[in-house]
Amino acid sequence: MDKKILLAFLLAALPTFAAADSQWILKQSTLTYHVSHPLHQSEGVSHAAKGKGVCHAGQCDFLIAVPVKSFDSGDSNRDLHMLQVTRGAEFPIVTVRTRLPESAETSSTVNADLEIQFAGQTAHYKQVPLKLETQNGETHITGTIPATLTDFKIEPPTLLTMPVKNEIPVRVDMTWRPQQ
Amino acid sequence: MLRDTLGNGRSLRVLVVVCLLVAVAPHLMGQTTATGVLTGKVTDASDNAVANAAVTATNVDTGQSRTVTTGADGTYKFDMLPSGNYRVKFESTGFNTVEIPSTIVSGTVPAVLDEKLEASASGKLATSQENLPNAPSSNTTAPTLSDLGLTPEQTQGNAREQALLDKRTHMLKIHQRMGLITTIPLIATVATSLNAGGKSTSTSSRYLHAALGGVTGDLYFITAYYAIRAPRVPGTETRGPIRFHKAMAWIHGPGMILTPILGIMAFDQKSNGEKVHGIASAHAPVAIVTAGAFGAALLSVSVKF
Repeated sequence: MDKKILLAFLLAALPTFAAADSQWILKQSTLTYHVSHPLHQSEGVSHAAKGKGVCHAGQCDFLIAVPVKSFDSGDSNRDLHMLQVTRGAEFPIVTVRTRLPESAETSSTVNADLEIQFAGQTAHYKQVPLKLETQNGETHITGTIPATLTDFKIEPPTLLTMPVKNEIPVRVDMTWRPQQ
Repeated sequence: MLRDTLGNGRSLRVLVVVCLLVAVAPHLMGQTTATGVLTGKVTDASDNAVANAAVTATNVDTGQSRTVTTGADGTYKFDMLPSGNYRVKFESTGFNTVEIPSTIVSGTVPAVLDEKLEASASGKLATSQENLPNAPSSNTTAPTLSDLGLTPEQTQGNAREQALLDKRTHMLKIHQRMGLITTIPLIATVATSLNAGGKSTSTSSRYLHAALGGVTGDLYFITAYYAIRAPRVPGTETRGPIRFHKAMAWIHGPGMILTPILGIMAFDQKSNGEKVHGIASAHAPVAIVTAGAFGAALLSVSVKF
């Protein structure tokens, strides 16, 4: 009889243990790269990122992926040029990986170590400051990744023989929600 | 003596300008090539190559870091590394992590940094992840691209499409350069038109104008060839200033054909002592519209309106 009670207790407790591994889904996002050229500035925007976070033992592993083709600068010629220099046809997806403590959800800022795969290269950005705002169970994250072209061995795109600046900061604006 | 050798003062001025340009050019080039190469080989205590070792170069001044992995022969290479002082870290599974606090990378000579790694005594796996406070995870719970619903078709590269893009960019770069070069004789042709037409003209002015016009036409058609022959990327909709740029081509393209034809007619009439008349009198207006459309096309992709 005692064994049956114990078994029933364990079965009842299983969902509780399983719930400890929570997950997050990227609800919506805006990623914007900024390019500076001696003649003008331009920005490319993508809303096509997909992301997921898996939390286990107090740590959450996040993966965000965005197609290189999805960035739109409002000029098809520029977008194709960017696609070419970033080898976007050969490496069509940009991935961002990071691990954050589960407790970060309640913080207003967090410094994240990012691993970014882009243009066939991997770059690490340490302690990138991100702002967090939680509302109605959703977490809104904003920040800027200080990316440069040389980080990914990208030859600077040129216009009228003049290359763009090496710095291509990427603004991140994401809303995450817990997966039901 | 020097003045005699050069012929006149104008040649001397040209020589001075050329000398100045030659003197300044290396400095200008130096400003645009402030990157260098850091390379080396990672070996173990027995001088065997250590493959897949992570080598991280961190700029001491800016904090920017880049990581590469060693190849099967243990070698690594950082290309296009901004010149400066770097802290270099070597990490590999089963070896102690080694950090070199200072290595200078300059744009002149590749910096060579070989490293010998010692096996870790405890057998502890030393990975780059462990040194980061909240580094990306490689554990089994971490999400994968398939977790995001991305299909292999979406994540796999297409070398053929990349080759197409490479060819397109290569041809359009030549198109841009040729377009800029064409602008020079185009402006000169327009400028010399003042002395080539009207009442007070000379034969030499007309010849100069015609010659410059000929050069402009030749360069223009080379420029146009590289734009027309640049491969199209399927499924791409033309958006932005490039639409205006292409629309202008429908004006300056026919104009560049018509202008020299009318010009030849006007030239013959002038050479025969006649006043330019008939359809030939449209040479100047057509040329002005053509040059204007060419300039507008150039500006449309250069300046953000």
